[in-house]
Amino acid sequence: MYVLHCSRQFVSQILSHNVLRGYTGVVRGACLISKARRSTTFLYRRYTCLASQQMHPHLSAFYNGIRRYYADLHNEENVLKSDSPGKLLAQQDEYEMQSDSSQRNPQEDFNISVLVSLLRQENAADICVIKVPEDIKYTDYFIVVSGSSSRHLRAMALYAIKVYKYMKKDGDPHANIEGKDAEDWMCIDFGRMVVHFMLPETREVYELEKLWTLRSLDEQLSSIPVETLPEDFIYGADVNVTK
Amino acid sequence: MALISRSCSGFLAQLSSLTHHKAFSVSTAAAAIQKMTRVRVVDNSPLGSTPWHRSPRVIHVYTKNGVGKVGDRVLLAIKGGKKKALIVGHKMPGERMNPRFDSNNVVLIEDNGNPTGTRIKVPLPTHLRKMEGDYSKLLAIASRFV
Repeated sequence: MYVLHCSRQFVSQILSHNVLRGYTGVVRGACLISKARRSTTFLYRRYTCLASQQMHPHLSAFYNGIRRYYADLHNEENVLKSDSPGKLLAQQDEYEMQSDSSQRNPQEDFNISVLVSLLRQENAADICVIKVPEDIKYTDYFIVVSGSSSRHLRAMALYAIKVYKYMKKDGDPHANIEGKDAEDWMCIDFGRMVVHFMLPETREVYELEKLWTLRSLDEQLSSIPVETLPEDFIYGADVNVTK
Repeated sequence: MALISRSCSGFLAQLSSLTHHKAFSVSTAAAAIQKMTRVRVVDNSPLGSTPWHRSPRVIHVYTKNGVGKVGDRVLLAIKGGKKKALIVGHKMPGERMNPRFDSNNVVLIEDNGNPTGTRIKVPLPTHLRKMEGDYSKLLAIASRFV
């Protein structure tokens, strides 16, 4: 019961801090589930909430506050109930393992919701996520994101790489930033997802969202004049022509 | 004796060429892209689309040997000026399951790696994605993959 109590308080803290906007729906659902006394699933929800804390290293102060809070609750419950100290120690060891930043988090995988939530957290403007159909065998999700300045773009890209490095599993390929020396356009290819960080002016010029939503009906594509071969063209006839 | 046999073999060869046609197609040997090759610019940049009395030529290939394959950067002489470009297909056959193109295709690029044009109508090879280098920008403005 104390598990449900402390996690409900934890949830309210999360909601008040507005950190995991994307997760609020999930956590609220979990609150309802707790009434049915399925404490194991609720523990998992809390674990995932804590795990997602890992990807925001600048919130470590907040995280430490939570850890102390949890430990206090544990101590309270130890006073009231006679819990075995071994169990308390084991759970605190689990916490130690989670807070060790050199270890990677194997539970979560770096999927689209993780990426979008971190982009939102970085104050990215105009996040556009396009689900690419399977026929175009390029990627699953195509994301275009604007930033306020080139420093902002670079910061977002580096942060995305940092989170990916933390959360990737051993079989996943490395992801590097393409276009590091370009100031206005950077992109990262994460395999299933491709992110493009552009300045708003660059975005206006290239109009990638238009191309990837209307595939062949794009206006820039149709305005390219159709190339016709000249009437006297012979394939391979210009090989021996000297100029 | 030798002269007679040689003339006989020539006569026989002429006979065979008159009666038989080759059962396979023969094409000229095509090398990869090097200096002085004429290339075809395939994006919709104004520099690549306007006509000029000389076709765009490669004047430098940025590789260790002077040979350019798909994904290599080159320097073009185009419309009286120099421009960097990226090779996206050549006439020379490469690996077995990679596409071979009927023309040496090239996409114009700025010095910082941004493409000069905004759309590419010509199909691009998909093995560009696996190669090491900044190709995601080209794949983002491409319309067809091969």
